[in-house]
Amino acid sequence: MTVRIPTARGAGLVACTRCGRVHEPQTPRCTRCGSALQSRDTRSLQRVWAWWAAGLIAYIPANIYPMLLTSALGSSTQSTILGGVVELWAHGDLPIAIIVFVASVVIPVGKFLAIAFLALKLRGPHKPDRHGRHRLYEVVEFIGRWSMIDVFVVAILASLVQFSLVATVNPGLAAICFALSVAFTMQAALSFDPRIIWDD
Amino acid sequence: MTDETPPPRPADMQIRPPRRRWWRRISVIWLVPLVALVIALGVAVQSYTNRGTLVRISFQDASGIEAGKTVLRYREVTVGAVESVSFSSDLGRVIVAVRVANDIAQYMDQDAQFWVVRPEVSVRGISGLDTVLSGSYIAGDWDNRINGEAETFEGLETAPLQARGGTPITLRLQDGNQISAGAPIIYKGIEVGTVGTPRLDDSGANVLIDAVIRAPYDKMLTTNTRFWDTSGFDISLGTSGIQLDVRSLASLIEGGITFDTIVSGGDQIAAGQDFFVYPDESEARSTVFTGGPQLELPLTMVIDGSIEGLSEGAEVRYKGATVGRVSDLGAIANMDPETPHIRMLVNLQIDVAKLGLPNETTVDGARDFVANLVERDNLRARLATASLFTGSLMVELVEQPDAEPATLDLTNEPYPLIPVAPPAITEFQTTAQGVINRIGGLPVEELMQAAIGALNSVQTLAGDPETRRVPAEAANLLADARAFLTGEDITGTLTNLNQTTASLRRISEQLEQGQAVANLIAAIDKANNALTGVEGASAEFPQIAQQVRELSAKANRLQIEELANSADSLLQSADAVLSNPNTQRVPGALSDALTEVAQVLAEVREGGAIGNVNDAITAAEEAANSINRAAQDLPALTAQAGRVLNDAGTTVSGYGSDSRFNVELVTALRSLQEAADSVTALARSIQRNPNSLILGR
Repeated sequence: MTVRIPTARGAGLVACTRCGRVHEPQTPRCTRCGSALQSRDTRSLQRVWAWWAAGLIAYIPANIYPMLLTSALGSSTQSTILGGVVELWAHGDLPIAIIVFVASVVIPVGKFLAIAFLALKLRGPHKPDRHGRHRLYEVVEFIGRWSMIDVFVVAILASLVQFSLVATVNPGLAAICFALSVAFTMQAALSFDPRIIWDD
Repeated sequence: MTDETPPPRPADMQIRPPRRRWWRRISVIWLVPLVALVIALGVAVQSYTNRGTLVRISFQDASGIEAGKTVLRYREVTVGAVESVSFSSDLGRVIVAVRVANDIAQYMDQDAQFWVVRPEVSVRGISGLDTVLSGSYIAGDWDNRINGEAETFEGLETAPLQARGGTPITLRLQDGNQISAGAPIIYKGIEVGTVGTPRLDDSGANVLIDAVIRAPYDKMLTTNTRFWDTSGFDISLGTSGIQLDVRSLASLIEGGITFDTIVSGGDQIAAGQDFFVYPDESEARSTVFTGGPQLELPLTMVIDGSIEGLSEGAEVRYKGATVGRVSDLGAIANMDPETPHIRMLVNLQIDVAKLGLPNETTVDGARDFVANLVERDNLRARLATASLFTGSLMVELVEQPDAEPATLDLTNEPYPLIPVAPPAITEFQTTAQGVINRIGGLPVEELMQAAIGALNSVQTLAGDPETRRVPAEAANLLADARAFLTGEDITGTLTNLNQTTASLRRISEQLEQGQAVANLIAAIDKANNALTGVEGASAEFPQIAQQVRELSAKANRLQIEELANSADSLLQSADAVLSNPNTQRVPGALSDALTEVAQVLAEVREGGAIGNVNDAITAAEEAANSINRAAQDLPALTAQAGRVLNDAGTTVSGYGSDSRFNVELVTALRSLQEAADSVTALARSIQRNPNSLILGR
C-alpha cells in the first residue's frame, strides 16, 4: 500500500510477457520475439472464469463416477475418489488415504478456491498485500502440474494390473473427468494476468 | 486593443470508442465450459435415463445378497444389480431393490420369478459352483412378451423348475413320501427332467408334483406315455430267486420317476398335461391298453371269519387278472345286544379301467355295472389263497352260478357292499396235516410192536438163566456140532437134505408154472412126510424146518384174504419157536429158513398161480398147521439134537472158547433178530396190500 511498485504501464510502455522487452505502447508485436503485445489482457479474467467453470464442471462427475473398476476373482468393485479414500482409511492405510485425499480433493478444491479468490479480488477496492496474492498465484500455477497424481496412479494400475480373471483394473469415467478438470484449472491459472494484481 | 474574440471553437468532440456489443466482449473461451457443461449434462441425462428401473423383490432371507455387489441375471447374463437391501415394514421379509436395465425391465411382468442362486451340494452333484467365488446372485426368469411391467415381486426360496426349453407337466401320485423336490425324471437311464415340490391336490386324495421334461426329450411324451415310480430299490422274490433292482444313487435317496411311451400313436400333449404315476412298471404298462387315468371304484366286503393273511395292498383278482387292491382293513361291530359280534371289513379299490370299461365311464357307471354283474352273474367276492407258502390272502371276484341271489348293497356307507362267497383258502397247514395223517395211518406202531415182540423174545431168550448157563455147553455144543457137521453122517444127511430141497424146488417150480393144486398139496404132503422124516433124524431138522417154511410161505403167497391170518399164525409159531429157549440151537437154520421163505415167496410171486388160490389157501392152512405141529415138536427135536450134539461133544474137544462162542452167539442173535424183522415186515406188507404180493407191486 505504501510502497509503489513501478510497472511498465506506469512508465507508458508495454512489456513483452514472454521475453520481457519493453516497447512503445502502440507496438503490436514484440520486436524481439514476435509475440503479441498487450499492456493488459482485458479478457484475462473472462478466460480465467471460463476455464475455471469448465474445470468445476469436469470435477463434479470426477467425484460421482467411479475412478477405478477393479475385478478380482470374479467379483468386481467400483470405487470413487472419496469412496477409495474411505476404504483406505477403513483398511488402516492412513498415510495413503491422506495422500490420496490431499491430491484428489484438497488440492483441486484449493485451486478452485484460490483462483476464484484471485479473480474476485483483482478489481476490488482494497488491494492489500499484493505480494501475498502474487505468491498465491505462483503456488497455484506451480502446483497445477502435480495435481495429476490420481490420474497417474490409475493409468499405471490399469496398464500393469491386467491378469484376466485373477485381477483386472480399468479406469473409470471419473479418471477422464479428473484429468480434464486438472487441465482446465491449469488453463485457468495460466489465463490469469498477474500484472493486474499490481495495477492501482 | 483588439478585442477580438476568439473565434468560436467547436466544442470538443467526445470521441469514445463505440461500446462494443456484449457478445463481442465475450471471449470465445467461454465455449469451453459451455461444451463441458453440455457434455456433463448430456452424460448426466444419459446416466439417469440408463440407470434402469428399480424393482423390489422380497425374499425370506437375504443370505448371500450384498447391496452393490449382487447382480441379477437372466439366462446367465447380468441385467441388473442390487442397490439396497432393506426390510418390509413388519420385518417379515427382506426387500431387495434391484436396478434393472430398462430394456429388460419391460419384460418383467407379474409372472416373473426370482430366486437366489447359491452353491448347492446334493446327491446329484454340485451346482452353482461359480457362485463360490463370485458370490450368490439373483436369477430371474420371465417370458418374452411385454405385458404390464411390475415393480414388486415375491422371490422364490428355491429355484423353480426350468420352464424354458421344456414341457411342464403335472404328475399325480397316490403317495408322495418317496419323492422329494429336485428328484430326477429318468427316461431310459437318462435324466430328462426334474420334479418340483410335492403338494396335495384340493381333495387331499392325490399328491401333485409339477415337473418339467426338458427339450428335446419332451417330444417323447404322448397321451400313451405312462409314468411310474422308481424310488428306492425293488426286491422281488420269484421263482428265479431274489431280484434286487437299484436305480441311480440319486433316485435311491431323492426318489425318481421314469416313463415310457409304450405304444405309439398317442397324441402330442399340451403343456401342463396331467399324468398319473403308477407304483411300478408292470402296473403302468398294464394300463396302456385299458387306457385312461385311473378311476377307482371303492367296494366293501364284510367277512365273518378271520382275515389273517390279508393285508392292505393285497390284490383283487377277477378271473386271474389283477383288477384292484385292498385299500384298507377294519372291523365292524354289531351292537345288537342279542347277538353282539364283530365282523371284519375289507375295503377294495377296483380299477375301473382294468375291468375293461370304456374310458368315459364314471365311478357311478362302473358301480352300476358291478351291481348288474352281482345280480345277474352272481358275482361274489371271496378270500382266496395268494401264496401257499406265506399263507397270504387275496380277494377274488368270482361268479358263482349256484349262489343265492344277492345284490350290491348301494346303501352301505361309505362304499357299496358286495356279497361274499365262502373263502377258497387252500391252507398249507391243512395239506401238510393230510400228509402227516397219511403217514400216521401207516402201520408203524404194529410194525414196531411186532419188532418189539420179536426183540422181547430175543431178550427173554438172552436173559433166561438157562441161556446164561448155556455158553459153556453151547461152546461145546457148537464145537461138537462142527465136528458133527464135518462128520460123514452129517454130510450124508446133507446130501439127502439137498435132494429133498431139490424135490421141493421142483415142487415150487411146478407151482411156478401154474400147476394144479394137486401139485401143491402133493408138495405139502411131501413136505409133511419130509417133516415126519425129520423127526427121525434130528440132525436134519434145520433144513427140514426150512423147507416146510418155504412151502408154507409159498402157500401164503398164493392166498389173499387168509394170508394175513396164516402169516399171523406163522408168526405165532415163529414166536413160539423163538420164545423157546431151545431155539437157540437153531438160529442159523431158522434164519436160512426165513431167507428161503422170502426167496420162494418171490419166486412164487413171479409164478402168478392166482387161479389156484383157494386150494392153495387150504393147503397153506394145512401147511401152517403142520408147521405148528413141527414147531411144537421142535423142543423135542432140539433136545434130541442137543443130546446128539452133546454126545458128539464128548468125542470132540479140540474146539471151543467162550469168546468165540460169544461172537457166534451174538451173530446168531443178530440173524435171529433180522429174521424176525423180515418176517414181521413181510407179514405187514402182506397185510397192508395183499395184492402186491401177487401182482409184484
